[in-house]
Amino acid sequence: MILSGREIQKRIESADITCTPFDPDLINPNSIDLTLGESLLRYRDDVIDPRVEPEVTEITIPPDGLVLDAMSFSLGASREIVGSTEFVPMVHAKSSTARAGLFVHVTADLIDIGSVGTVTFQLFATLPLRVFPGMRIGQMTFWKPQGEIELYSGKYQGSKGPRKSEIYRDRYWETWEGLPS
Amino acid sequence: MILTGAAITRAVERGEIVIDPFEPAQVNPNSYNYRLGSEIFRVTPREDPRAGVRQEQLEPTGGRYLLRRNQLYLGHTAERIGSTRYVTSLIGRSSIGRLGLFVQLSADLGHRGAVHRWTLELLPVLDIYLYPGQILGQVSFWATTGEALPYRGWYGRHDVPMPSKLLPSELHRHADRDVTVPRARDAET
Repeated sequence: MILSGREIQKRIESADITCTPFDPDLINPNSIDLTLGESLLRYRDDVIDPRVEPEVTEITIPPDGLVLDAMSFSLGASREIVGSTEFVPMVHAKSSTARAGLFVHVTADLIDIGSVGTVTFQLFATLPLRVFPGMRIGQMTFWKPQGEIELYSGKYQGSKGPRKSEIYRDRYWETWEGLPS
Repeated sequence: MILTGAAITRAVERGEIVIDPFEPAQVNPNSYNYRLGSEIFRVTPREDPRAGVRQEQLEPTGGRYLLRRNQLYLGHTAERIGSTRYVTSLIGRSSIGRLGLFVQLSADLGHRGAVHRWTLELLPVLDIYLYPGQILGQVSFWATTGEALPYRGWYGRHDVPMPSKLLPSELHRHADRDVTVPRARDAET
């Protein structure tokens, strides 16, 4: 089951859902809008290697906006610190964002219950698009879980601003026995 | 409702969810991490688009594959995954999305009753190396309401990356040869 906007607001007031800062104007019929922070990250590596820490450049979006080039990829973040210990959050684009050809995540919409922080947006632009700090770029829904809850305590907990991938920290190959043949 | 990690583990123990092989360490608060399987195919158009696509198997170099940006590949999960009771949804890990790799193209929803190695639609937006066996994405499981229809689909019978049925392909002619699991069991009603 998905929470209605009114229920999201109630759960923010009772602290089952975190959304800081909270602006009641961001509540929709069944989601809450997320606004874009001013910091972006771009990878500098010629080829991404998931086993090696990637290098990034940080860019500040000026008040009059920054153009994302067609087929470019950047990481951005929500200004809001969001999460829940009771419900499973999911990230979505605003339909206005999607109609302009912008992905806000790259097949990673599901957030772990207990994860609280800014959301890192995976911004893939299919058309050139000017983005602005504070624009309503995405939205978050909350879903009721079934079963005993164990809270997230992973590496992205407490994110402030965009966080690059830290998959290189999972050195699974050192102990893993390999794919079954 | 979406199952928590503890509920996924219990459903696997009861046989209501199949994840094979299953590793407790790959359970998340509300999903399960799957690994990338060993085979990856590059999908390229033929000169005459009506003739469909060419699907060529890549050879790994030094234990890894190099995937080029804006080029579609098909891969597969290492695990056989599905459920006769819950609806499976397959997405990426945020650590993979943060690297600009799509693992499916707005087709996250599985059919209840289909148990197989899932075909992944891999679309990198940056050049990237991939290692067979690396954790790539996650599956979540959702409770349904209403009477269940049995799954009678075609893709669910295959454990290797299958090309789109919309496109003519030599693989379809040999599809029966690729069947490595019996037809997925019909959903229990």
